[in-house]
Amino acid sequence: MKAASLSDLLKKSDRIAVSNITGREASKVSAISQKYCANISAGWALGKGGQKIETPRGIISAFATFEEMLRMTPAERKPNKILVYSPPDAVYGEVKEIVKYGEKIVETIFIVTEHVSVEVTAKISQICRQANIDVIGCNTLGMINTHDRVRIGAVGGESPEETFTPGSVTVISNSGNMVNTIASYLISAGMGTSFGISTGKDRLILFPLKDFLTLAEKDENTHLIVIYAEPGGTYEHDAIEMMKKNGFSKPLVVYVAGEIAEKHGISLGHAGAVVEGRKSSAKAKEEAFDEYFSIEAYKPGKHYRKTEQLTKALSRGIRVQVLHHIPEAVTLIVNTLGVKKDIGRTKSLHLNPWFSNLGDLGRHIPAELSLAPGTIPAPYSGQFKEQMRTFLHGMVRQPMKNASHSSSNDGVTPRIYGYSLMDIMKTRSFTAALILYWTGELPRDQFEERLAEMTLIASLTNGPGTISAQGAKLSASAGNNPNTAMIANLASIGIVHGGNGSKAVEFLINCFEKLDIKDIYEESIDVKELASRIADDFKKKKQAAKEAGLEYARIPCLGHPVFRDDPVNYDPREQVIYEFIKKSGKVNIFFEFYHHLAQALKDNGSTRNVLAVNLDAAIACVWIGICWSRLHDKQMTLKRAIDIPFIAFALGRVGGGAGEFLDHHDFGTEMDMRIPVKECRALTRPRKLKSYKA
Amino acid sequence: MGLRVAEFTFLEYFASSYGIPAPRHLAGTAEIAEIKKAIKEWGGVALVKPDLLSGRRGKAGYVVTVRNIHEALREIKRVSSLEINGQMTRIAYLVEKIPAKLEMYTAITYNTEFLSPSITVSLEGGVDIEDVADEKKITIPVDIYRGLDAYQAGEVLSKLGCPQNLISILSRSMISFWDLFISTGMESAEINPWIITPEGKPYACDFKAVIDESNYKSRIPGVIFPEYPENITDFEEEMNAWDASSHQGQAHVSDLGGTRILPILFGGGASTIITETLEALGGSPLFLSDFGGNPPYERMLGTARRCFDYHLAHAGLLLILGGKANNTFIDVTFQAIADALMSYAEEKGPVNIPVVIGRGGPRLVKGILAIKQVLEYLKLPHVIFGPDTPVTLVAEYAAGLINAVEQIKEDQNEGSQSLGSVKKE
Repeated sequence: MKAASLSDLLKKSDRIAVSNITGREASKVSAISQKYCANISAGWALGKGGQKIETPRGIISAFATFEEMLRMTPAERKPNKILVYSPPDAVYGEVKEIVKYGEKIVETIFIVTEHVSVEVTAKISQICRQANIDVIGCNTLGMINTHDRVRIGAVGGESPEETFTPGSVTVISNSGNMVNTIASYLISAGMGTSFGISTGKDRLILFPLKDFLTLAEKDENTHLIVIYAEPGGTYEHDAIEMMKKNGFSKPLVVYVAGEIAEKHGISLGHAGAVVEGRKSSAKAKEEAFDEYFSIEAYKPGKHYRKTEQLTKALSRGIRVQVLHHIPEAVTLIVNTLGVKKDIGRTKSLHLNPWFSNLGDLGRHIPAELSLAPGTIPAPYSGQFKEQMRTFLHGMVRQPMKNASHSSSNDGVTPRIYGYSLMDIMKTRSFTAALILYWTGELPRDQFEERLAEMTLIASLTNGPGTISAQGAKLSASAGNNPNTAMIANLASIGIVHGGNGSKAVEFLINCFEKLDIKDIYEESIDVKELASRIADDFKKKKQAAKEAGLEYARIPCLGHPVFRDDPVNYDPREQVIYEFIKKSGKVNIFFEFYHHLAQALKDNGSTRNVLAVNLDAAIACVWIGICWSRLHDKQMTLKRAIDIPFIAFALGRVGGGAGEFLDHHDFGTEMDMRIPVKECRALTRPRKLKSYKA
Repeated sequence: MGLRVAEFTFLEYFASSYGIPAPRHLAGTAEIAEIKKAIKEWGGVALVKPDLLSGRRGKAGYVVTVRNIHEALREIKRVSSLEINGQMTRIAYLVEKIPAKLEMYTAITYNTEFLSPSITVSLEGGVDIEDVADEKKITIPVDIYRGLDAYQAGEVLSKLGCPQNLISILSRSMISFWDLFISTGMESAEINPWIITPEGKPYACDFKAVIDESNYKSRIPGVIFPEYPENITDFEEEMNAWDASSHQGQAHVSDLGGTRILPILFGGGASTIITETLEALGGSPLFLSDFGGNPPYERMLGTARRCFDYHLAHAGLLLILGGKANNTFIDVTFQAIADALMSYAEEKGPVNIPVVIGRGGPRLVKGILAIKQVLEYLKLPHVIFGPDTPVTLVAEYAAGLINAVEQIKEDQNEGSQSLGSVKKE
């Protein structure tokens, strides 16, 4: 063992280099470590030399090899600690390189890699011992020194400061997760941590418990040590032997997991947690600790009377039988031995459900099991509020090449959002199936379904002169197949023809977003007043833009090239939908708003007559109505709600385009869409061509 | 991961390849004429042994001496159907019976005290080494690079009081044993006993080993390790293959034969502690699981799907529990579990069991919201805890809840009351 103290293993002035730094884990962990303590000076990854790892505290350079990294790093930044994240088969080679080039520079190697063979582990142990380099691992998660606010590896996860408050307990654990978990429990006992150490639990633990204890005993900040141990190996027996032989001045709280391994003859999660021989069993370890402590395992609720015998026993330590008794056992030791607590405020560990919804079951089970939601502590409470504001509460993105939420086929049944396609065919309409496919839910009622159908029918055509119909006809005229003509039809719609409904959705959401509307057919809000305000606002912006000679943003979906000359104009297709809603005894607040807005714009002089609320607006109002509850509950993206009206129009119109194709194909003459040359106008170019020389 | 190897494989492949003297042997599936011939050649006596992955065959009386073909055939048939400690016999086989003047124990393993390989030798062969007095056994470290040399072996034998005339030949045998150990990527191996004949010739008369599958040497050309009829469930078999298919995240399960709680657990340590707590309090977990190690989405989805496909239909409670993760992205793992649960409900029909969740770690809030959304959609009763509630308390709660649910079911089965009329206690 090279280290003479725990801080020799990790301290503030250490400079860390990371192997395979461009890997998934290593790059992520390095970025977090840099944010926390900025102690990584460089990294290397075979074949990845020259890459950069971006972190909140600057860039970490990745070199091609360890040797290159060492050569290129200035003396004052040369790494004395190495964090190995290489794949199992590469670990031996990496360590040999480190030993070859890093001897007398490197003090400690932390090997995070799992599944390193035991033979390689033994070889690493030997070559590093000869080179006077300490090795921690394999399969360690790393270590944290809270007083110096530095970590190596992933101890503490994304926010180490959340769990690791500087204090006087060193946690030594066979499980990386338990370092974090136990440290968080200790806070409830008013204790912080000095060091959190993940030993790893492979077949061979290269920095054994007795060595950690030897160093922890010398550490000034450490007054108490918590150990989490598992079956396998004789590390605990060796440590106890060492403490008995040399004496040991600091109390331990020990938890040994894994009796289950022997009971069922099963293997546990960690590779080294294998019972081989009696001493390596959990039971044998528990007995050995109890014998060393000379006190039986901690019993919650027991009154421990302070006697000389108790003080003597607790100065060696005590074992706990249940993990969450660790804080109580620590408190017992702290109170008995007069150790000062690190944190004033303490709170006992208890069941604190963040969410609880047991439904009917809650009424039938004993009261103590029917838990009401507790209090979500900071910082999580704030994070929940933040997340609730985002789509699907920040749903995780993933590769979607072979995956779909909307459809599935298990080889027997094709489904749309879980509904059997065959069942839908038998019982539902095409429109209902479309609503399901687009929104994830079947229409709530016939009213909703009928409205959607109306938008599709209304989108079919507005006569052969529309540019989308012209697209289909052009294609037919050129002798194309129907699919090509339908593509031509679709290619001839866009943001100003057909797609304006999407703009209307954006506009409506902007106008209504501050009002907490749950159901647009149930709310009774004063849309007239809102329309008047929006109209006035529009007028101001329009005037200002005009004065500045600038373009101004128009209100989408108001006005129509055909229905425009009456004092009050209507798009007859919109009117069918509007009247249907009215006759159904319902009010769509967006529709109402649009009609009031058209009137308010006329009233405040922004328009010379009352513009028609056009079909695009109607499509938008209908579909945003269908999407609204999911949008409101953040179960649907705004992007989807914006796209759907456009998609509805496109789907209807492409059906109409197909109709135009069929008609044109049957009755048209060849190339009849061609414009004769004589009808084409040549325009002169308003610039001089002289400057262009051959 | 370790691959266990028994004596029959040693006799078939390793003994001759590494020059380790061993008795002649014959598979029990051989023709009658061959067996007859073998018994005759072996001096009219043979041992019938079961090929299985469990020690203590001799102590259990499963190694039988036979003296003619009739006895041999009868015992082959009987021994072939034996089971020890849940391990079933693959085949029976015959070995030559070696007369013993002396027996020796040898084992090579990676020693957690020396942090290197070590060899343990005793002249009290054929017994459990832990029953042998300390002064009658010696363990020495072996240099991983230089290996065991004759001088070391001889010195050990000498210290144990081995007859001088045997030291040389036994040392050579021990070195051959080391060569086998280190050449095949073994993590532990035992030859117990070596039988030394009155003529001073040693024979390796029983063998067991664990091969480290993480070691590239374990892929030994020409050696086909037999598949044993292990007492594992289809679920374990599928999960073992799934676990071995990738090193990204753990997918470890061990069947416990429980009937109540389906545990999706994270972390080698936490999973052990949680399972122990559940067992102690009657939670009856179906299996032990460790799905930590920051599995990517696809990996976790595959893991959760397998768990649900095999067990969700008959589980009484779904427990998703782990400590405060350092590394594992909770949003990724929980989203995958949520998607697997949703797919299950879509494909296999409604799920109606309570769900208890406890977790901490990176992107926890997103993860909780992802899974909560699915639980609400499927209308599953649920309680979700954060990292401020210890995993063991959550496990205690889950055990209490499943016991209460089972009690309700029992009451209903008695036919006296419907669920709706069961009164709150």
